[in-house]
Amino acid sequence: MKRILPVFFIFSVFITGSYWSAYSNVGSIIYFYNPETNINNFATLKTAFDTYLVNHGGYYFQPFDSRENFEAVIQEKKGDIYLLSSWHLKALQQKNVPLKIALVGTSKGNTMQRKVLSTKKDIVDVTMLKNTVVAGAGSEEYIHSVLKQILGKEQEALLKDIKILLVPKDIDAIMAVGFGMASAAISAESSLDKLAMINPNQFRELHGLGFSEKDYLLVAATLKKPEQQEAELLEVLRKMSEADAGGENLKLLGIDGWRAM
Amino acid sequence: MKIMDFCKVLILLSVFWVSAGFALPGKVLIVNSDNTVFRYETIASEFKKVLQQNAYQWTEFNLNSHADAEAELKQLIQQENPVLIYCIGTKAYSLARNVASNKKLLFSAAINWRRLDIGEGTYGVANELSSAQEISLLRYFFPTIKTIGLLYNDKFSREYVETIKKEALALGINIINQPINDTQEISGALNELLPKIDMFWIISDPVVLSSKASVQQIFQAAQQQKKPVYAYSEVFIEQGAVLAISADLATIGRQSASLALMINEDKVPEGTVQNPAGSTVTLNKCALDALRFSFNQDALDSVNKIVECDK
Repeated sequence: MKRILPVFFIFSVFITGSYWSAYSNVGSIIYFYNPETNINNFATLKTAFDTYLVNHGGYYFQPFDSRENFEAVIQEKKGDIYLLSSWHLKALQQKNVPLKIALVGTSKGNTMQRKVLSTKKDIVDVTMLKNTVVAGAGSEEYIHSVLKQILGKEQEALLKDIKILLVPKDIDAIMAVGFGMASAAISAESSLDKLAMINPNQFRELHGLGFSEKDYLLVAATLKKPEQQEAELLEVLRKMSEADAGGENLKLLGIDGWRAM
Repeated sequence: MKIMDFCKVLILLSVFWVSAGFALPGKVLIVNSDNTVFRYETIASEFKKVLQQNAYQWTEFNLNSHADAEAELKQLIQQENPVLIYCIGTKAYSLARNVASNKKLLFSAAINWRRLDIGEGTYGVANELSSAQEISLLRYFFPTIKTIGLLYNDKFSREYVETIKKEALALGINIINQPINDTQEISGALNELLPKIDMFWIISDPVVLSSKASVQQIFQAAQQQKKPVYAYSEVFIEQGAVLAISADLATIGRQSASLALMINEDKVPEGTVQNPAGSTVTLNKCALDALRFSFNQDALDSVNKIVECDK
Protein backbone atom coordinates (compact mmCIF):
# COMPACT_ATOMS: atom_id res chain seq x y z
CA MET A 1 0.00 0.00 0.00
CA LYS A 2 2.88 2.34 0.94
CA ARG A 3 4.35 1.77 -2.53
CA ILE A 4 1.10 2.22 -4.35
CA LEU A 5 0.35 5.66 -2.89
CA PRO A 6 3.44 7.50 -4.23
CA VAL A 7 2.97 5.86 -7.66
CA PHE A 8 -0.67 6.91 -7.64
CA PHE A 9 0.36 10.45 -6.62
CA ILE A 10 2.90 10.78 -9.44
CA PHE A 11 0.38 9.36 -11.92
CA SER A 12 -2.27 11.86 -10.75
CA VAL A 13 0.14 14.78 -11.10
CA PHE A 14 1.04 13.63 -14.60
CA ILE A 15 -2.57 13.21 -15.67
CA THR A 16 -3.71 16.48 -14.10
CA GLY A 17 -0.77 18.37 -15.55
CA SER A 18 -1.42 17.00 -19.02
CA TYR A 19 -5.07 17.92 -18.68
CA TRP A 20 -4.37 21.52 -17.70
CA SER A 21 -1.62 21.95 -20.28
CA ALA A 22 -4.06 20.63 -22.90
CA TYR A 23 -6.78 22.94 -21.64
CA SER A 24 -4.44 25.93 -21.66
CA ASN A 25 -3.88 25.38 -25.38
CA VAL A 26 -7.51 25.91 -26.29
CA GLY A 27 -8.36 29.04 -28.23
CA SER A 28 -10.09 32.09 -26.79
CA ILE A 29 -13.30 31.55 -24.91
CA ILE A 30 -16.61 33.39 -25.15
CA TYR A 31 -18.05 33.89 -21.68
CA PHE A 32 -21.77 34.53 -21.44
CA TYR A 33 -24.05 35.79 -18.70
CA ASN A 34 -27.38 37.54 -19.14
CA PRO A 35 -29.30 38.96 -16.17
CA GLU A 36 -32.27 39.71 -18.46
CA THR A 37 -33.48 36.11 -18.66
CA ASN A 38 -33.98 33.15 -16.34
CA ILE A 39 -34.16 30.41 -18.94
CA ASN A 40 -32.20 27.42 -17.83
CA ASN A 41 -30.79 26.60 -21.27
CA PHE A 42 -27.10 26.50 -20.40
CA ALA A 43 -26.51 22.92 -21.53
CA THR A 44 -28.17 23.64 -24.88
CA LEU A 45 -26.20 26.88 -25.32
CA LYS A 46 -22.93 25.20 -24.44
CA THR A 47 -23.48 22.30 -26.88
CA ALA A 48 -24.75 24.48 -29.72
CA PHE A 49 -22.03 27.14 -29.49
CA ASP A 50 -19.17 24.74 -28.81
CA THR A 51 -20.13 22.63 -31.83
CA TYR A 52 -20.10 25.72 -34.02
CA LEU A 53 -17.04 27.45 -32.55
CA VAL A 54 -14.80 24.37 -32.40
CA ASN A 55 -15.37 23.98 -36.14
CA HIS A 56 -14.62 27.65 -36.75
CA GLY A 57 -11.21 28.04 -35.19
CA GLY A 58 -11.25 25.82 -32.12
CA TYR A 59 -12.96 28.27 -29.78
CA TYR A 60 -15.22 27.54 -26.84
CA PHE A 61 -18.32 28.96 -25.21
CA GLN A 62 -18.90 29.13 -21.47
CA PRO A 63 -22.32 30.23 -20.21
CA PHE A 64 -22.83 31.27 -16.56
CA ASP A 65 -25.92 31.27 -14.40
CA SER A 66 -24.19 33.19 -11.63
CA ARG A 67 -23.25 36.85 -11.92
CA GLU A 68 -20.52 36.46 -9.29
CA ASN A 69 -18.78 33.65 -11.16
CA PHE A 70 -19.01 35.51 -14.46
CA GLU A 71 -17.52 38.65 -12.92
CA ALA A 72 -14.78 36.60 -11.27
CA VAL A 73 -13.74 35.39 -14.74
CA ILE A 74 -13.62 38.98 -16.00
CA GLN A 75 -11.40 39.88 -13.04
CA GLU A 76 -8.87 37.29 -14.26
CA LYS A 77 -8.39 39.57 -17.29
CA LYS A 78 -7.46 36.79 -19.66
CA GLY A 79 -8.50 38.82 -22.65
CA ASP A 80 -11.36 36.73 -23.96
CA ILE A 81 -14.77 37.79 -25.30
CA TYR A 82 -17.61 38.52 -22.93
CA LEU A 83 -21.26 38.43 -23.98
CA LEU A 84 -23.43 40.37 -21.58
CA SER A 85 -26.36 42.75 -21.37
CA SER A 86 -25.68 46.45 -21.78
CA TRP A 87 -27.21 47.03 -18.32
CA HIS A 88 -24.60 44.71 -16.81
CA LEU A 89 -21.84 46.27 -18.91
CA LYS A 90 -22.68 49.72 -17.56
CA ALA A 91 -22.73 48.39 -13.99
CA LEU A 92 -19.26 46.92 -14.49
CA GLN A 93 -17.93 50.07 -16.15
CA GLN A 94 -19.12 52.02 -13.11
CA LYS A 95 -16.93 49.72 -11.03
CA ASN A 96 -14.00 50.67 -13.30
CA VAL A 97 -13.90 47.37 -15.16
CA PRO A 98 -12.50 48.51 -18.54
CA LEU A 99 -14.88 46.56 -20.77
CA LYS A 100 -15.36 47.95 -24.26
CA ILE A 101 -18.12 47.04 -26.72
CA ALA A 102 -16.85 45.32 -29.84
CA LEU A 103 -20.13 44.02 -31.29
CA VAL A 104 -23.75 44.83 -30.64
CA GLY A 105 -26.48 42.22 -31.12
CA THR A 106 -29.21 42.94 -33.62
CA SER A 107 -32.79 41.75 -33.86
CA LYS A 108 -34.81 42.47 -36.99
CA GLY A 109 -32.44 45.29 -37.84
CA ASN A 110 -32.54 46.94 -34.41
CA THR A 111 -29.62 47.21 -32.05
CA MET A 112 -31.61 48.81 -29.25
CA GLN A 113 -34.63 47.91 -27.18
CA ARG A 114 -36.65 49.42 -24.40
CA LYS A 115 -38.48 47.71 -21.61
CA VAL A 116 -42.21 48.14 -21.06
CA LEU A 117 -44.25 47.97 -17.89
CA SER A 118 -47.47 46.34 -19.14
CA THR A 119 -50.73 45.97 -17.26
CA LYS A 120 -54.34 45.26 -18.03
CA LYS A 121 -56.20 48.38 -19.13
CA ASP A 122 -58.07 48.78 -15.83
CA ILE A 123 -54.78 49.76 -14.21
CA VAL A 124 -54.42 53.32 -15.41
CA ASP A 125 -51.78 54.64 -13.07
CA VAL A 126 -48.59 53.23 -11.53
CA THR A 127 -49.87 54.05 -8.04
CA MET A 128 -52.43 51.27 -8.56
CA LEU A 129 -49.54 48.81 -8.49
CA LYS A 130 -49.12 49.22 -4.74
CA ASN A 131 -49.26 45.81 -3.02
CA THR A 132 -49.34 43.90 -6.28
CA VAL A 133 -47.09 41.41 -8.05
CA VAL A 134 -44.97 42.44 -11.04
CA ALA A 135 -43.59 39.59 -13.16
CA GLY A 136 -40.31 39.82 -15.02
CA ALA A 137 -37.60 37.65 -16.51
CA GLY A 138 -34.08 38.17 -15.23
CA SER A 139 -32.33 38.73 -11.96
CA GLU A 140 -34.18 40.45 -9.14
CA GLU A 141 -31.63 43.26 -9.18
CA TYR A 142 -32.17 43.85 -12.88
CA ILE A 143 -35.98 43.88 -12.70
CA HIS A 144 -35.79 46.18 -9.68
CA SER A 145 -33.51 48.55 -11.54
CA VAL A 146 -35.74 48.71 -14.65
CA LEU A 147 -38.81 49.21 -12.50
CA LYS A 148 -37.07 52.01 -10.62
CA GLN A 149 -36.19 53.73 -13.89
CA ILE A 150 -39.74 53.41 -15.22
CA LEU A 151 -41.36 54.62 -12.00
CA GLY A 152 -39.04 57.61 -11.81
CA LYS A 153 -38.11 59.63 -8.73
CA GLU A 154 -41.70 60.64 -8.01
CA GLN A 155 -43.01 57.09 -7.63
CA GLU A 156 -39.82 55.39 -6.45
CA ALA A 157 -41.30 54.85 -2.99
CA LEU A 158 -43.76 52.41 -4.54
CA LEU A 159 -40.97 49.90 -5.08
CA LYS A 160 -41.04 48.65 -1.50
CA ASP A 161 -44.74 47.79 -1.86
CA ILE A 162 -44.32 45.83 -5.08
CA LYS A 163 -43.53 42.12 -5.09
CA ILE A 164 -41.42 40.89 -7.95
CA LEU A 165 -42.13 37.45 -9.40
CA LEU A 166 -39.21 36.11 -11.40
CA VAL A 167 -40.22 33.97 -14.38
CA PRO A 168 -38.02 32.28 -17.01
CA LYS A 169 -38.74 34.50 -20.00
CA ASP A 170 -40.48 37.66 -21.18
CA ILE A 171 -43.41 35.87 -22.77
CA ASP A 172 -44.13 34.12 -19.43
CA ALA A 173 -44.12 37.50 -17.66
CA ILE A 174 -46.58 39.08 -20.09
CA MET A 175 -48.87 36.06 -20.11
CA ALA A 176 -48.79 36.06 -16.29
CA VAL A 177 -50.65 39.38 -16.49
CA GLY A 178 -53.15 38.07 -19.02
CA PHE A 179 -53.86 34.97 -16.95
CA GLY A 180 -54.02 36.80 -13.62
CA MET A 181 -50.85 35.60 -11.88
CA ALA A 182 -49.40 39.11 -11.84
CA SER A 183 -50.77 42.63 -12.12
CA ALA A 184 -47.98 43.90 -14.32
CA ALA A 185 -45.01 42.67 -16.32
CA ILE A 186 -41.63 44.03 -17.28
CA SER A 187 -40.61 42.85 -20.74
CA ALA A 188 -38.89 43.95 -23.90
CA GLU A 189 -41.14 45.83 -26.30
CA SER A 190 -40.46 43.17 -28.93
CA SER A 191 -41.94 40.53 -26.61
CA LEU A 192 -45.27 42.34 -26.76
CA ASP A 193 -45.12 42.00 -30.55
CA LYS A 194 -44.72 38.26 -30.02
CA LEU A 195 -47.78 38.20 -27.78
CA ALA A 196 -49.72 40.09 -30.45
CA MET A 197 -48.84 37.27 -32.84
CA ILE A 198 -49.51 34.27 -30.60
CA ASN A 199 -52.42 35.55 -28.52
CA PRO A 200 -53.93 38.72 -30.04
CA ASN A 201 -56.90 38.71 -27.64
CA GLN A 202 -54.63 38.89 -24.64
CA PHE A 203 -52.46 41.53 -26.32
CA ARG A 204 -55.51 43.76 -26.80
CA GLU A 205 -56.26 43.59 -23.06
CA LEU A 206 -52.85 45.08 -22.18
CA HIS A 207 -51.33 48.52 -22.39
CA GLY A 208 -47.96 50.04 -21.63
CA LEU A 209 -47.98 51.96 -18.36
CA GLY A 210 -44.37 53.05 -18.59
CA PHE A 211 -41.22 52.66 -20.65
CA SER A 212 -37.53 52.44 -19.86
CA GLU A 213 -34.85 54.27 -21.80
CA LYS A 214 -33.56 52.53 -24.91
CA ASP A 215 -30.53 50.35 -24.47
CA TYR A 216 -28.45 48.00 -26.58
CA LEU A 217 -29.45 44.37 -26.93
CA LEU A 218 -26.77 41.83 -25.98
CA VAL A 219 -23.21 43.11 -26.48
CA ALA A 220 -19.87 41.40 -27.08
CA ALA A 221 -17.13 43.17 -25.15
CA THR A 222 -13.40 42.85 -24.57
CA LEU A 223 -11.18 44.06 -21.76
CA LYS A 224 -8.48 45.44 -23.98
CA LYS A 225 -7.71 46.02 -27.63
CA PRO A 226 -8.28 42.56 -29.14
CA GLU A 227 -5.14 40.64 -30.05
CA GLN A 228 -5.06 38.46 -33.14
CA GLN A 229 -6.88 35.51 -31.60
CA GLU A 230 -9.63 37.65 -30.06
CA ALA A 231 -10.00 39.61 -33.28
CA GLU A 232 -10.43 36.36 -35.18
CA LEU A 233 -13.00 35.12 -32.69
CA LEU A 234 -14.93 38.40 -32.94
CA GLU A 235 -14.98 37.93 -36.69
CA VAL A 236 -16.29 34.37 -36.30
CA LEU A 237 -18.99 35.72 -33.99
CA ARG A 238 -19.88 38.58 -36.36
CA LYS A 239 -20.33 36.18 -39.25
CA MET A 240 -22.36 33.60 -37.32
CA SER A 241 -25.66 34.71 -38.80
CA GLU A 242 -24.37 33.90 -42.30
CA ALA A 243 -24.44 30.15 -41.55
CA ASP A 244 -27.69 28.30 -40.74
CA ALA A 245 -26.28 26.67 -37.60
CA GLY A 246 -24.73 29.96 -36.44
CA GLY A 247 -27.97 31.84 -37.03
CA GLU A 248 -29.91 29.32 -34.96
CA ASN A 249 -27.42 29.68 -32.14
CA LEU A 250 -27.86 33.45 -32.10
CA LYS A 251 -31.63 33.01 -31.92
CA LEU A 252 -31.12 31.04 -28.71
CA LEU A 253 -29.70 34.29 -27.33
CA GLY A 254 -32.64 36.31 -28.66
CA ILE A 255 -30.70 38.05 -31.45
CA ASP A 256 -30.27 37.43 -35.17
CA GLY A 257 -26.93 39.04 -35.93
CA TRP A 258 -24.13 41.37 -34.81
CA ARG A 259 -23.09 44.87 -35.77
CA ALA A 260 -19.50 46.02 -35.30
CA MET A 261 -18.96 49.13 -33.18
CA MET B 1 -19.83 52.46 34.49
CA LYS B 2 -23.57 52.30 35.18
CA ILE B 3 -24.30 53.75 31.74
CA MET B 4 -22.09 51.06 30.19
CA ASP B 5 -23.99 48.33 32.06
CA PHE B 6 -27.30 49.81 30.96
CA CYS B 7 -26.11 49.81 27.33
CA LYS B 8 -25.04 46.17 27.63
CA VAL B 9 -28.46 45.19 28.98
CA LEU B 10 -30.11 47.13 26.17
CA ILE B 11 -28.03 45.35 23.53
CA LEU B 12 -28.77 41.95 25.09
CA LEU B 13 -32.48 42.73 25.17
CA SER B 14 -32.42 43.79 21.50
CA VAL B 15 -30.67 40.58 20.51
CA PHE B 16 -33.24 38.60 22.48
CA TRP B 17 -36.18 40.37 20.84
CA VAL B 18 -34.79 39.84 17.37
CA SER B 19 -33.94 36.18 17.96
CA ALA B 20 -37.34 35.57 19.49
CA GLY B 21 -38.94 36.66 16.23
CA PHE B 22 -39.97 40.13 17.41
CA ALA B 23 -40.97 42.30 14.45
CA LEU B 24 -40.74 39.37 12.08
CA PRO B 25 -43.72 38.89 9.80
CA GLY B 26 -44.74 35.35 10.75
CA LYS B 27 -43.73 31.76 10.59
CA VAL B 28 -44.49 29.41 7.71
CA LEU B 29 -44.50 25.65 8.03
CA ILE B 30 -43.31 23.84 4.91
CA VAL B 31 -44.65 20.31 4.62
CA ASN B 32 -42.86 18.42 1.87
CA SER B 33 -44.25 15.09 0.63
CA ASP B 34 -40.74 13.83 -0.03
CA ASN B 35 -37.66 16.04 -0.05
CA THR B 36 -35.64 13.40 -1.91
CA VAL B 37 -37.84 13.98 -4.96
CA PHE B 38 -36.06 16.48 -7.22
CA ARG B 39 -39.17 18.40 -8.30
CA TYR B 40 -40.40 18.84 -4.71
CA GLU B 41 -37.01 19.92 -3.47
CA THR B 42 -36.52 22.43 -6.32
CA ILE B 43 -39.85 24.03 -5.46
CA ALA B 44 -39.04 24.07 -1.73
CA SER B 45 -35.63 25.60 -2.31
CA GLU B 46 -36.95 28.53 -4.40
CA PHE B 47 -39.81 29.05 -1.94
CA LYS B 48 -37.34 29.39 0.94
CA LYS B 49 -35.14 31.84 -0.99
CA VAL B 50 -38.05 34.27 -1.33
CA LEU B 51 -39.09 33.84 2.30
CA GLN B 52 -35.55 34.59 3.38
CA GLN B 53 -35.41 37.77 1.27
CA ASN B 54 -38.57 38.92 3.03
CA ALA B 55 -37.35 38.09 6.54
CA TYR B 56 -39.89 35.33 7.08
CA GLN B 57 -39.12 32.42 9.36
CA TRP B 58 -39.98 28.86 8.44
CA THR B 59 -39.87 25.32 9.73
CA GLU B 60 -39.66 22.29 7.50
CA PHE B 61 -41.36 18.96 7.91
CA ASN B 62 -40.50 16.24 5.40
CA LEU B 63 -43.00 13.40 5.45
CA ASN B 64 -40.42 10.88 4.27
CA SER B 65 -38.30 11.46 7.40
CA HIS B 66 -41.01 10.67 9.95
CA ALA B 67 -42.34 7.26 10.90
CA ASP B 68 -45.55 8.62 12.42
CA ALA B 69 -45.89 11.71 10.26
CA GLU B 70 -49.50 12.50 11.22
CA ALA B 71 -48.94 12.62 14.98
CA GLU B 72 -45.62 14.44 14.67
CA LEU B 73 -47.03 17.00 12.27
CA LYS B 74 -49.97 17.64 14.58
CA GLN B 75 -47.59 18.20 17.47
CA LEU B 76 -45.36 20.49 15.41
CA ILE B 77 -48.31 22.63 14.33
CA GLN B 78 -49.40 23.05 17.96
CA GLN B 79 -45.87 23.90 18.96
CA GLU B 80 -45.04 26.34 16.15
CA ASN B 81 -48.49 27.81 15.47
CA PRO B 82 -47.60 28.80 11.89
CA VAL B 83 -49.48 31.57 10.08
CA LEU B 84 -49.53 29.41 6.95
CA ILE B 85 -48.78 25.81 6.01
CA TYR B 86 -47.19 25.35 2.60
CA CYS B 87 -47.81 21.84 1.30
CA ILE B 88 -45.65 20.46 -1.50
CA GLY B 89 -47.31 17.49 -3.19
CA THR B 90 -50.72 15.86 -2.76
CA LYS B 91 -49.62 13.69 0.19
CA ALA B 92 -48.47 16.73 2.16
CA TYR B 93 -51.65 18.64 1.42
CA SER B 94 -53.98 15.77 2.34
CA LEU B 95 -52.21 15.24 5.65
CA ALA B 96 -52.09 18.94 6.53
CA ARG B 97 -55.77 19.29 5.66
CA ASN B 98 -56.56 16.42 8.03
CA VAL B 99 -54.58 17.67 10.99
CA ALA B 100 -54.92 21.44 10.57
CA SER B 101 -58.09 22.25 8.69
CA ASN B 102 -58.43 25.52 10.61
CA LYS B 103 -55.06 26.79 9.32
CA LYS B 104 -54.41 28.64 6.10
CA LEU B 105 -53.07 26.11 3.61
CA LEU B 106 -51.18 26.75 0.40
CA PHE B 107 -50.42 23.85 -1.94
CA SER B 108 -48.34 23.24 -5.03
CA ALA B 109 -47.11 20.23 -7.05
CA ALA B 110 -50.45 18.49 -6.56
CA ILE B 111 -51.41 16.61 -9.71
CA ASN B 112 -54.93 17.50 -10.81
CA TRP B 113 -55.68 19.80 -7.86
CA ARG B 114 -59.38 19.92 -8.69
CA ARG B 115 -59.71 16.48 -7.12
CA LEU B 116 -58.35 17.70 -3.78
CA ASP B 117 -60.55 18.33 -0.79
CA ILE B 118 -60.39 22.13 -0.86
CA GLY B 119 -61.70 24.04 2.13
CA GLU B 120 -61.91 27.65 3.18
CA GLY B 121 -58.55 29.23 3.69
CA THR B 122 -56.94 27.07 1.01
CA TYR B 123 -54.81 28.56 -1.71
CA GLY B 124 -52.64 26.99 -4.36
CA VAL B 125 -50.43 27.03 -7.39
CA ALA B 126 -51.53 24.39 -9.89
CA ASN B 127 -49.12 21.83 -11.23
CA GLU B 128 -50.11 22.26 -14.86
CA LEU B 129 -50.00 25.30 -17.12
CA SER B 130 -53.38 26.53 -18.25
CA SER B 131 -54.32 25.14 -21.65
CA ALA B 132 -54.47 28.71 -22.98
CA GLN B 133 -50.81 29.21 -22.00
CA GLU B 134 -49.90 25.95 -23.72
CA ILE B 135 -51.80 26.79 -26.89
CA SER B 136 -50.28 30.30 -27.02
CA LEU B 137 -46.76 28.89 -26.72
CA LEU B 138 -47.57 26.16 -29.21
CA ARG B 139 -48.61 28.87 -31.68
CA TYR B 140 -45.32 30.65 -31.06
CA PHE B 141 -43.44 27.59 -32.35
CA PHE B 142 -45.94 26.50 -34.99
CA PRO B 143 -47.87 29.56 -36.15
CA THR B 144 -49.34 27.79 -39.18
CA ILE B 145 -51.02 24.96 -37.24
CA LYS B 146 -54.77 25.12 -37.75
CA THR B 147 -56.13 21.74 -36.61
CA ILE B 148 -55.01 19.70 -33.62
CA GLY B 149 -56.34 16.31 -32.63
CA LEU B 150 -56.46 14.55 -29.29
CA LEU B 151 -57.77 11.40 -27.68
CA TYR B 152 -59.42 11.48 -24.26
CA ASN B 153 -61.70 9.63 -21.93
CA ASP B 154 -64.99 11.39 -21.36
CA LYS B 155 -65.19 10.44 -17.68
CA PHE B 156 -61.76 11.81 -16.76
CA SER B 157 -61.07 14.65 -19.16
CA ARG B 158 -64.30 16.00 -20.62
CA GLU B 159 -64.15 19.30 -18.74
CA TYR B 160 -60.47 19.84 -19.60
CA VAL B 161 -61.05 19.04 -23.28
CA GLU B 162 -63.98 21.46 -23.42
CA THR B 163 -61.71 24.19 -22.02
CA ILE B 164 -58.99 23.38 -24.55
CA LYS B 165 -61.49 23.53 -27.42
CA LYS B 166 -62.86 26.88 -26.31
CA GLU B 167 -59.45 28.45 -25.75
CA ALA B 168 -57.98 27.06 -28.96
CA LEU B 169 -60.92 28.33 -30.98
CA ALA B 170 -60.36 31.83 -29.59
CA LEU B 171 -56.85 31.61 -31.05
CA GLY B 172 -58.03 30.31 -34.41
CA ILE B 173 -57.16 26.65 -33.81
CA ASN B 174 -59.67 23.89 -34.33
CA ILE B 175 -59.47 20.96 -31.91
CA ILE B 176 -60.80 17.61 -33.06
CA ASN B 177 -61.36 15.46 -30.01
CA GLN B 178 -61.99 11.75 -30.17
CA PRO B 179 -63.33 10.05 -27.02
CA ILE B 180 -62.23 6.52 -26.12
CA ASN B 181 -63.52 4.19 -23.42
CA ASP B 182 -60.45 1.96 -23.17
CA THR B 183 -57.06 1.40 -24.81
CA GLN B 184 -58.57 -1.14 -27.25
CA GLU B 185 -60.15 1.78 -29.06
CA ILE B 186 -56.91 3.76 -29.54
CA SER B 187 -55.95 2.23 -32.87
CA GLY B 188 -59.31 2.81 -34.54
CA ALA B 189 -59.60 6.30 -33.10
CA LEU B 190 -56.15 7.26 -34.40
CA ASN B 191 -56.94 5.91 -37.87
CA GLU B 192 -59.96 8.14 -37.98
CA LEU B 193 -58.35 11.17 -36.39
CA LEU B 194 -54.83 11.49 -37.82
CA PRO B 195 -55.74 12.16 -41.48
CA LYS B 196 -57.83 15.18 -40.39
CA ILE B 197 -55.23 16.99 -38.28
CA ASP B 198 -51.96 18.98 -38.52
CA MET B 199 -50.69 17.88 -35.11
CA PHE B 200 -51.57 15.38 -32.36
CA TRP B 201 -51.72 16.59 -28.75
CA ILE B 202 -51.05 14.17 -25.88
CA ILE B 203 -53.01 15.29 -22.84
CA SER B 204 -52.65 13.85 -19.35
CA ASP B 205 -55.55 11.41 -19.61
CA PRO B 206 -55.26 8.27 -17.43
CA VAL B 207 -57.10 6.03 -19.91
CA VAL B 208 -55.20 7.13 -23.02
CA LEU B 209 -51.87 6.88 -21.19
CA SER B 210 -52.74 3.78 -19.14
CA SER B 211 -49.91 1.66 -20.54
CA LYS B 212 -46.56 1.97 -22.26
CA ALA B 213 -48.04 0.07 -25.20
CA SER B 214 -50.80 2.63 -25.74
CA VAL B 215 -48.24 5.46 -25.81
CA GLN B 216 -46.13 3.51 -28.30
CA GLN B 217 -49.20 2.94 -30.42
CA ILE B 218 -49.85 6.67 -30.61
CA PHE B 219 -46.29 7.50 -31.64
CA GLN B 220 -46.12 4.69 -34.19
CA ALA B 221 -49.38 5.72 -35.84
CA ALA B 222 -48.37 9.41 -35.85
CA GLN B 223 -45.01 8.55 -37.38
CA GLN B 224 -46.60 6.41 -40.09
CA GLN B 225 -48.90 9.25 -41.06
CA LYS B 226 -46.10 11.83 -40.66
CA LYS B 227 -47.96 13.86 -38.03
CA PRO B 228 -46.02 15.71 -35.33
CA VAL B 229 -46.91 15.05 -31.70
CA TYR B 230 -47.02 17.75 -29.03
CA ALA B 231 -46.97 16.63 -25.38
CA TYR B 232 -47.58 18.18 -21.97
CA SER B 233 -44.43 16.63 -20.52
CA GLU B 234 -40.77 16.21 -21.46
CA VAL B 235 -41.00 12.44 -20.86
CA PHE B 236 -42.59 12.03 -24.30
CA ILE B 237 -39.69 13.69 -26.13
CA GLU B 238 -37.66 10.48 -26.13
CA GLN B 239 -40.53 8.69 -27.85
CA GLY B 240 -40.68 11.29 -30.60
CA ALA B 241 -42.78 14.27 -29.45
CA VAL B 242 -41.61 17.37 -31.36
CA LEU B 243 -42.36 19.79 -28.54
CA ALA B 244 -43.11 19.58 -24.83
CA ILE B 245 -44.23 22.51 -22.71
CA SER B 246 -44.64 22.19 -18.96
CA ALA B 247 -44.57 24.32 -15.82
CA ASP B 248 -41.21 25.60 -14.59
CA LEU B 249 -40.55 24.16 -11.14
CA ALA B 250 -38.43 27.02 -9.81
CA THR B 251 -41.14 29.50 -10.77
CA ILE B 252 -43.76 27.40 -8.94
CA GLY B 253 -41.65 27.77 -5.77
CA ARG B 254 -41.21 31.54 -6.20
CA GLN B 255 -44.85 32.04 -7.16
CA SER B 256 -46.01 30.08 -4.11
CA ALA B 257 -43.80 32.25 -1.91
CA SER B 258 -45.15 35.40 -3.49
CA LEU B 259 -48.67 34.13 -2.87
CA ALA B 260 -47.75 33.23 0.73
CA LEU B 261 -46.59 36.79 1.41
CA MET B 262 -49.79 38.22 -0.06
CA ILE B 263 -51.95 35.74 1.91
CA ASN B 264 -50.25 36.79 5.11
CA GLU B 265 -51.09 40.39 4.29
CA ASP B 266 -54.71 39.39 3.49
CA LYS B 267 -54.34 40.57 -0.08
CA VAL B 268 -55.46 37.40 -1.83
CA PRO B 269 -59.09 36.25 -2.05
CA GLU B 270 -59.68 32.94 -0.25
CA GLY B 271 -59.66 29.92 -2.51
CA THR B 272 -57.28 31.45 -5.04
CA VAL B 273 -55.53 28.80 -7.11
CA GLN B 274 -53.19 30.19 -9.74
CA ASN B 275 -51.77 28.53 -12.81
CA PRO B 276 -47.97 28.38 -12.91
CA ALA B 277 -46.51 31.57 -14.38
CA GLY B 278 -43.34 30.05 -15.81
CA SER B 279 -42.89 27.50 -18.55
CA THR B 280 -40.21 25.04 -19.61
CA VAL B 281 -39.86 24.19 -23.28
CA THR B 282 -38.14 21.20 -24.91
CA LEU B 283 -37.85 21.15 -28.69
CA ASN B 284 -37.05 17.92 -30.50
CA LYS B 285 -35.24 19.10 -33.63
CA CYS B 286 -34.35 15.56 -34.53
CA ALA B 287 -38.03 14.57 -34.76
CA LEU B 288 -38.89 17.81 -36.60
CA ASP B 289 -36.14 17.23 -39.16
CA ALA B 290 -37.31 13.65 -39.70
CA LEU B 291 -40.82 14.94 -40.43
CA ARG B 292 -39.46 17.91 -42.42
CA PHE B 293 -41.71 20.02 -40.28
CA SER B 294 -40.64 23.65 -39.90
CA PHE B 295 -40.95 25.82 -36.81
CA ASN B 296 -40.64 29.54 -36.04
CA GLN B 297 -36.93 30.06 -35.43
CA ASP B 298 -37.57 33.25 -33.46
CA ALA B 299 -39.12 31.02 -30.80
CA LEU B 300 -35.69 29.53 -30.07
CA ASP B 301 -35.24 32.34 -27.53
CA SER B 302 -37.78 30.52 -25.35
CA VAL B 303 -36.33 27.02 -25.51
CA ASN B 304 -34.74 25.36 -22.49
CA LYS B 305 -33.55 22.23 -24.20
CA ILE B 306 -33.02 21.22 -27.81
CA VAL B 307 -32.81 17.55 -28.72
CA GLU B 308 -30.64 16.89 -31.76
CA CYS B 309 -30.16 13.55 -33.54
CA ASP B 310 -27.23 11.44 -32.37
CA LYS B 311 -24.38 11.73 -34.86
